[in-house]
Amino acid sequence: MIPRHLYVHAPFCARRCSYCDFAVDVAAEPPVEPWAEAVAGELGRVRREEGWSAPLELDTLYVGGGTPSLLGPEAMARLRAGLEGGVDLNGVEEFTAEANPESFTAEVAAGWRRAGVNRLSFGAQTFHAPSLRWMGRLHGPDGPGRAVERARAAGYDNLGLDLIFALPPMLGRDLADDLDRVLALEPEHVSVYGLTVEKGTPLSRWVAERRVELPDEDRYGEEYLLVADRLTAAGYLHYEVSNFALPGRESRHNGAYWRGVPYLGLGNGAHSYVPPRRWWNRRDWSAYRSAVATGEAPRESEEEVSGEAEALERIWLDLRTRSGIALSGLSEPQGALVRTWERHGWAEAAEAAGTLRLTAEGWLLLDRLAVELEGAAEMVARGGPKAADSGLHGAGKRTEETR
Amino acid sequence: MRIDHIRNFCIVAHIDHGKSTLADRLLEATGTLTRREMREQVLDSNELERERGITIKLHAIRMDYTAGDGRKYELNLIDTPGHVDFTYEVSRSLAACEGAVLVVDASQGVQAQTLSNLFLAMDAGLEIIPVLNKIDLPGAEPEKRRDELVDLLGCEPDEVLLVSAKEGKGIPELLERIIAKVPPPEGDPDAPLRALIFDSFYDQYQGAVPSIRVVDGSIRPGMHITFGATRAEYEVDEVGLLRLGRVKQQELSPGDVGYVIAAIKRVSDTKSGDTIIHAEHPETPLLPGYQEVKPMVFSGLYPTDADQYEELRDALEKLKLSDASLNYEPETSTALGFGFRCGFLGLLHMEVVQERLEREFDLDLITTVPNVEYHIVRTDGSRLMIENPTALPDRGSIDEIEEPYVRARIMCPSEYIGNVQKLVHDRRGEYVHMHYLDPTRVEFLYEVPLAEIVLDFYDRLKSSTRGYASLDWEFLEYRPNDLVKLDMLINGDPIDAFSVIIHRDKAYEYGRNMAEKLKELIPRQMFAVAIQAAIGGKIIARESVRAMRKDVTAKCYGGDITRKRKLLEKQKEGKKRMKQVGTVEIPQEAFLAVLQVGD
Repeated sequence: MIPRHLYVHAPFCARRCSYCDFAVDVAAEPPVEPWAEAVAGELGRVRREEGWSAPLELDTLYVGGGTPSLLGPEAMARLRAGLEGGVDLNGVEEFTAEANPESFTAEVAAGWRRAGVNRLSFGAQTFHAPSLRWMGRLHGPDGPGRAVERARAAGYDNLGLDLIFALPPMLGRDLADDLDRVLALEPEHVSVYGLTVEKGTPLSRWVAERRVELPDEDRYGEEYLLVADRLTAAGYLHYEVSNFALPGRESRHNGAYWRGVPYLGLGNGAHSYVPPRRWWNRRDWSAYRSAVATGEAPRESEEEVSGEAEALERIWLDLRTRSGIALSGLSEPQGALVRTWERHGWAEAAEAAGTLRLTAEGWLLLDRLAVELEGAAEMVARGGPKAADSGLHGAGKRTEETR
Repeated sequence: MRIDHIRNFCIVAHIDHGKSTLADRLLEATGTLTRREMREQVLDSNELERERGITIKLHAIRMDYTAGDGRKYELNLIDTPGHVDFTYEVSRSLAACEGAVLVVDASQGVQAQTLSNLFLAMDAGLEIIPVLNKIDLPGAEPEKRRDELVDLLGCEPDEVLLVSAKEGKGIPELLERIIAKVPPPEGDPDAPLRALIFDSFYDQYQGAVPSIRVVDGSIRPGMHITFGATRAEYEVDEVGLLRLGRVKQQELSPGDVGYVIAAIKRVSDTKSGDTIIHAEHPETPLLPGYQEVKPMVFSGLYPTDADQYEELRDALEKLKLSDASLNYEPETSTALGFGFRCGFLGLLHMEVVQERLEREFDLDLITTVPNVEYHIVRTDGSRLMIENPTALPDRGSIDEIEEPYVRARIMCPSEYIGNVQKLVHDRRGEYVHMHYLDPTRVEFLYEVPLAEIVLDFYDRLKSSTRGYASLDWEFLEYRPNDLVKLDMLINGDPIDAFSVIIHRDKAYEYGRNMAEKLKELIPRQMFAVAIQAAIGGKIIARESVRAMRKDVTAKCYGGDITRKRKLLEKQKEGKKRMKQVGTVEIPQEAFLAVLQVGD
């Protein structure tokens, strides 16, 4: 299977945010040319290795970061030129680029538009000035509004805003207020992420030193549900754990990750999935760049996703989206388990589609539910006694059905 | 038969007062072992013993020594276990000797175990040779400690030998003193055989190999022997004396210390304190002092992974071959599944067995709260002994519950008198006696319910006296008390592994603490979890663990999937290590935590 979805990583940021552990290179003047060359070089190498002789026919292209907008107005055209011949972009329905408000100038808007970008994703995070400063963001409360204006003026009709929630209570951020400001900008798409402490970030150090206290589970849950309620009421579909879109404006590119179809990732730290293999590149930009330049493999490592790992991954990813999981694929104990979920309001069946999807309440417990659901399948596979003595999982009648 | 060239003696000391080092120096000075051999010997011995700095197994070793008078002597050094759990074994080792070297640390002075061991040695009628060890250490106060020993033993000051085992100082003097003061054994070589078993080793080829001291008669290969306690008959294959290894001999005669190989299957067939007699003279009077060793502390051992049950059973069987004092019986817990109720001599013994099971047999175990054996007097007058709180019969049928008391000897610097009194009072101890050993140190005698000691008494004692107090105890008797069974309920179901029998006055506090502890340790689940403590039908404490609110990875795109899936796999593994009770998953730590509940 040849990927129809391409991700390109633009690792450069003017500054690293306090919570960020992405593959990011802090550079005042990002090296556009070397970046485009390295990405193009890697594409050539991957095609040779994988034996993809024809150009890859892409449905979606996504340039993420880092801060792609830092690369300037010509970056997307330059990227396209480098990819020319290796990919066929004629059928691309969705070409997304990420941008930060402070570097998304009118020139960038226009330059990217000319290069074919038709969807933008802005890292707004919050409109609360103290929180923006605390996070290390370089834009102010009015930044996202101005960026949206510029985008609209340049003709973009598919905009997304990223918002963060579960910020430390001490910051005094009002999430409801932020949601109002988001809705006022009328974006087609909103992504909402709970603040997560990643190892090695300034945030993790602050937390360890008790200088920052994160909100507890209850507050996290309340904020998440507040977001879901507001956005749903405003006509957005809650189509994935962290993603909301006006009907028809769901991200096709990201959908590929959740559906488990092949995708190719280029650039440092990028992941590719060509079932059953998944591989990923070196995280460090210079190491990646010099590997590509000297003809070495820029890959860090790879794995084969199969067996239990694949089953767990599949269940987890299916449960993430509004499309949910096919009821027909569930074993009997799994069926019994999801009925208890329905009773608790964590899931609802979409009878017509024959699927089961999680509610916002259920999504809050997603990881746990996925592990339980996969475990219920295993019990059948083992035909073991554990199914029988576990009250939660019902009688666990033995069936031949396994995933 | 001349036996005045034999000296049988042991070394008794409080833990860490330098007994092993002193023994090493004696072996070296008599040329029994070179330093190199000694190191190898040490390397061979049980890993746990070395780590804990205690002697779990007994050892005996023969030394040949030419004394200052030019005569050759046979010295048998019989080592004794250095821990309170093994008092009976100590007493049997002492019974094989005529003399005891009493080692006291010149800086620490007399400690609780020094006294307990001294009293045991005196009971056994041994000649005591007082030794102050570690005289070279900066904190040593030889003068002061010598006065202490003089007071204690009623001896002359110059009878106290000053030794530094580490430096090898005073060793020749000690050897001469042993020759001079320890009486040679007495025994009738022509009488029918009587030999005392004071220890037994398990050899995977030879089976149980008892260490013996011949009292009367002699023992040699081909002889048919029997044991006073078991009356099983064996033919002797080999006898010999113990050095670095076994040294085969023609026979062992009165006063000799050595071993017997007779195709004995298990160490539990060779009980310490039992008498070996000639099978043709079954009427030979047995040596006094034999007791059936009774476990004092009980605990349920369960495999964390139910699939390891068989492995646990095999491991216990194997351990039992070499550890006669370990008892176990299968039991079933609704919370923990299939496991074993094990009986131990004491807490240390319990820890040692658990650690050996986990290390040597690679088992992952859950241990229930240790408890003692209770005697139940029922309303119809019948008596019942229970080793597991869940076996307590219906309240209505109980007239009285009796629990074991011990006599506890505690020694500490006088500045901690208040702390010790408070601790023992909190543990329902009854004051018997207090005595100043010198102006700065006190000895207490208390009668304390054993149940109060088995949890964490020793740790508490140490921490409330900055490590200075020492403790020793021995079983006293069973006494009735107002005891109740306290159950912990999770979502309404009693969890048998958490049940304890406890004094009514302490039940409320314990129940509250336990509920709080479990609240901390039971992670949030998909549903709210109610934790209750109950006596009979009455709820005395309650806590609740609120339902899990959030367990989600917010962000998941192409680059996140592998890493996040690995976290899910970890979560899945973690789930397997939990015990599922009804719909609630209880982590292993919760079962261990019960051990730390208290004050």
